[in-house]
Amino acid sequence: MSEQSKKLPKGRSLWSDGIHRLAGHKLAMAGLVVIAAYFLLAAFIYISELCNWKISFLQWGDKIGREYEPPNAKNIIGTDFLGRSVLRKTIYGTKISITVAFLASILSIAIGVPLGAIAGYFRGAVDEIIVWLYTTLSSIPYILLILAFALVLKDKAINLHWAGLGTLELRGIASVYLAMGLTSWVGICRLIRGEVIKHKDREYVLAAKSYGCGDGRIITRHLIPNVFHIVIIDFSLRFVSFIQAEVILSFLGLGEKNSPSWGAMIDTARLDLPKGYWWEMTAATLAIFFISLALNVFGDALRDSLDPKLRIQ
Amino acid sequence: MVSNNGYLLEVNGLKTHFPVRKGLLRRTIGYVKAVDGVSFGIKKGQAFGLVGESGCGKTTVARTITRLIPATAGKVVFDGIDVLSADKNQLQMLHRETSIIFQDPFGSLNPRMTVGGIVGEPLKIQRKLVGRKLMEQVVELLSKVGLSPDHINRYPHEFSGGQRQRIGVARALSLRPKLVICDEPVSALDVSIQSQILNLLKDLQDEFDLTCLFIAHNLAVVEFFCDVVAVMYMGRIVEQAPAEQLYRNPLHPYTRALMSAIPQVDTSRRQQKNKLAGEVPSVFNPPAGCPFNPRCPLAENECLARIPPLKQYGEDKEHFVACWKC
Amino acid sequence: MNNNGTLLSLENVSTHFFTADGIVKAVQNISLKIKKGRTFALVGESGCGKSVTALSVMRLVPHPQGKIAGGKIVFEEQNLLELNEKQMRSVRGNKIAMIFQEPMTSLNPVYTVGNQIAEAIKLHQGKTNQQAKEDAVEMLQKVGIADSQRRINDYPHQMSGGMRQRVMIAMAISCQPKLLIADEPTTALDVTTQAQILDLLDELQQQEKMSILLITHDLGIVAERADDVAVMYASRIAETADSKTLFANPLHPYTQGLLKSLPRLGFTGKRLPTVAGIVPDPLHFPSGCKFHPRCPIGCNDERCQTIEPEIRYVAPGHGVACWYAQGYEKITDKQNG
Repeated sequence: MSEQSKKLPKGRSLWSDGIHRLAGHKLAMAGLVVIAAYFLLAAFIYISELCNWKISFLQWGDKIGREYEPPNAKNIIGTDFLGRSVLRKTIYGTKISITVAFLASILSIAIGVPLGAIAGYFRGAVDEIIVWLYTTLSSIPYILLILAFALVLKDKAINLHWAGLGTLELRGIASVYLAMGLTSWVGICRLIRGEVIKHKDREYVLAAKSYGCGDGRIITRHLIPNVFHIVIIDFSLRFVSFIQAEVILSFLGLGEKNSPSWGAMIDTARLDLPKGYWWEMTAATLAIFFISLALNVFGDALRDSLDPKLRIQ
Repeated sequence: MVSNNGYLLEVNGLKTHFPVRKGLLRRTIGYVKAVDGVSFGIKKGQAFGLVGESGCGKTTVARTITRLIPATAGKVVFDGIDVLSADKNQLQMLHRETSIIFQDPFGSLNPRMTVGGIVGEPLKIQRKLVGRKLMEQVVELLSKVGLSPDHINRYPHEFSGGQRQRIGVARALSLRPKLVICDEPVSALDVSIQSQILNLLKDLQDEFDLTCLFIAHNLAVVEFFCDVVAVMYMGRIVEQAPAEQLYRNPLHPYTRALMSAIPQVDTSRRQQKNKLAGEVPSVFNPPAGCPFNPRCPLAENECLARIPPLKQYGEDKEHFVACWKC
Repeated sequence: MNNNGTLLSLENVSTHFFTADGIVKAVQNISLKIKKGRTFALVGESGCGKSVTALSVMRLVPHPQGKIAGGKIVFEEQNLLELNEKQMRSVRGNKIAMIFQEPMTSLNPVYTVGNQIAEAIKLHQGKTNQQAKEDAVEMLQKVGIADSQRRINDYPHQMSGGMRQRVMIAMAISCQPKLLIADEPTTALDVTTQAQILDLLDELQQQEKMSILLITHDLGIVAERADDVAVMYASRIAETADSKTLFANPLHPYTQGLLKSLPRLGFTGKRLPTVAGIVPDPLHFPSGCKFHPRCPIGCNDERCQTIEPEIRYVAPGHGVACWYAQGYEKITDKQNG
C-alpha cells in the first residue's frame, strides 16, 4: 500500500503555495540570502570552536596593530582600544547576537503559543487568568522587566537533576536570552489567542468535535496548523527586536563579557566617539542594520505570501 | 439497544436558550430563544426534513441534539440512550453513530489537512485504524462519493465546491453512522451541482440504510429528499406532515406563504401569491402569543394571547399543525 | 434618440484579470441589449462572469489586476469605455446605479443610513444638506420602510438584512437612474423577504420607468421577473432570448440541463436529472465549446471539442451558441437579435 501512496500525486498545500509566491518576491529573496549568511556565519563559528579550528578572521583577541588605528589597507575597519581588529570582532559578534535572538525567539514562542491557544480555545476562567497574566506583564516597562529577570538569573546554577539534566549554569549571556524570552511571549500569545478564537467556531472544528475529537487533538492537529503562519511571521519580525534589545542590555552591563558582541562594541565605542574614533561604532551599527533590514523586508513579504486570505481563489 | 415504536431519534420539548449579557457586570438581561419547545421523532431509515428560514432554529436543533451546543431543557433519546445526560462512554457512542454534513464546503474542511487525512481522521480516532487498513477504508469511501484515490494527498482548496462537499460526505460516512444530519448540504453549491449531490445522498441513504435529518430552506429540495417534513418558525415547529401531504395541502399560513414565495420556473405551478408582510421579528424580543401573529393574515385575539400547541390535524395521524385557526 | 428603445448595448465586451497564476478571461465577447423599461436577467453559475460583466458596465473592475480588454459599452448613444474617470463618475449612481448581494458589507457601518442616502443625492444633484435629508426620508418611504423619519438615523447594524437591502435600493434610485444593476440582490435573504424585495423592484421599475439588469443564479426568479434573459457559461453567453421563449423552448444543452436538474415542487421522480461534471476553472477553460466536457452531445464531438461556436440568432431575439442547436446550421452569418 505504501508503494501505491508513493505513486499518488502530491497535493499543493497552502504552505507550498505561499512559498512559491514568496520565491517570486525578489527583494524578499535577497533578504533571505542576507539572513542565511548571518546564520551560516554564526553556525560556522560554533563549529570552528567545537573542532578547535584556528581561522584567522575569527581570532578577534589577537593584537594586530596599534591602538585606535583608523580604517586602512591592512585593517579594513581599523582597530579598537587594544589594537584588536574591529572587523574580526564584528564577525565574531554575529555568534552572540544570532544566538541570543534565536534562543529568545524560540523561548517566547514555546511559552506564548501554548498559552495563547489554551486561552483562546477554552475561554472562560482559563482565558481570564492568562489574559490577566500577560496584561500585567506587559504593563511593566519592558526594560525594567528584562533587567529584573536578567539580574536575578545572572550567574545562577539551576538544579535540573530531577529532570535528569544535571545542573544548568547560567553564565552571563544565558540570563539575557532567558530574560528576553520570558518577557516577550506576550505579543505572540495575544496574536495566537485572537486567531484561535476566530477559528474555534469554524465548521471544520465543529466537524472534528462531532466525531469525537478531543480538545487536545483539536488544538494541536486542527487549530495550531491553521494559525502557525502567524508564528513564522512573528518570529521573523521579533528577531529584529531581540537583536536590538541585546544592544540595550549590553549598555546596562548585562550580557557577554568575555567575547565581543555588537552591543558591547557599541557600548565601549560610544565613549570613544567624542575622541573621533568612529569605526567600531559604525561597524557594529551596520552589522545590526543589515540583518534588521533583511528581516523586515523578508518578514513583510512572508506575511503577504502566507496569509491564506490573500490567495486568489 | 432497541428503541420503542421504531424511532431511532426522539426529541421532546427541546429548548436551547442563549443568555444575552450586557453591562459592566455582564448581567444576563434576557435570552435568545433559538429553540423553544421542539418535539419530533425520526423512524429508522426515514429521511426527516426540517425547513425554515434563517433564524428559525433548525441548525441549532441539529447542534443541540449532537451536544455540540448545551441544551436548556428537554429530552433527546437516540437509539435508546438519553443523549442530554449521557456519560463519557455513551457520548463516544453518540459520536460514532451520528455524523453531520455541513453547509459550507469551504469552511467545513481543515485547509491544512489532506483529503485523506480529513476523511480518515474519524477512523483514526474512533476505530484506531492506521497505515494500510486506514488507507483502504479511505479509498473505498472516496470512491463511494465519486472521487478517485488520486485525490488522497490533495488539499481542499484544490477542489471545486461540489467536490469538497463530496469529501464532507465521505467523512460523514466514514464511521458508518446510523443517523446522518445534513445541515443545508447543497445550499452553497452551484445549481448544476446541487442535483448531483442530492442524487449522491439519496443513493448513499439507500446503500447504507441511513436515517437522515435533512435541514434546508429550499422546500423543493426537501420535498425531493424527505419522507416527513417539519416547518419551523422562530424556534418552534408550526407544521409537520409526510412530504407529499405537506405540499398538497399546507395548512399553516406560514407554510403557505413559504411555498408561494419560492420563485417557480414552471408557470403551471404558480399559485396565488400569499404575500407576507413585515419581517421575522427579533428572536430576542418575540411577540406575545403565536410568534407568527404580526405577519399572519388570519391572526385574531386568541393568536395574540396564547401560543398554539402542535396538535394533530383532525383524523390524520401524521399531519400536525400549530395554529388556532386550523 | 435610442434605436428601438435600446438603453444599454454591450458589443463584444471582454474583461481579463491578471493573476499570479495566469490570465483569467472572465468575460469574452459578450454582446447584449437592454431595452428601456424592461428587466434583463443575466443568469449563470459561479465563475461564469456575470458579476464581472456588471462591474464592467460600471467600470468598477478592480484595477490593476482587472482590465476591460475590448468591445464597446454603449449607453444612451455614448461609449462608456471612452469616458474619462470624471465623466464616468457622473454616470455612476446618477444614470446607472448598482445594488449588491451583501447589504452588510456594501453599506458603510460607521455612517447612518440617512447619511449614506443623502451623500449620493448631494453628489449628483447638488442639493443642500437639509434638502438631501428630506429626500432621503422620502426615499425610505418609497422603498417601504415604515417610520422613515426615525429610521433615517439608524446604523446598518441596527437593521435586518431585508431592510438593509431596501436602504441600498433607496440609495440606488435616489437620483432616478435610467438603469439599475442588481447583482444577486436577494441571494443573501430569506425566501419570504426575497419575494418582498423583488416585488419592490417591480413596483419601482414601473414608477420610475427604469430598466433593470438582474444578475442571478436563480432560474425561478428569472422566470417570474425577467423580460429578457441571457444565460452565461464560462465567460460566454450560451443562449439569449426573451423569458417566455427561453423557458418554453431552451435550445442550448446547458440551459436544457439546468432547467431539468432544478429541484421543483411536485417532482415525483426518484432521482434528479443532472448536468454531469463540474463548472470549469477560469484559469483552465476547455478548448472549443467551453461546455463540451459536460455536454451529452459535445463530449464525443470533435467539432465541439475544437471550435468554439458563436452566437447565432435562430429566431428573432433568440440567440444560441451551439453547433447542434435546432436551426443553428442554417444560419450562415450573425444576424442582429
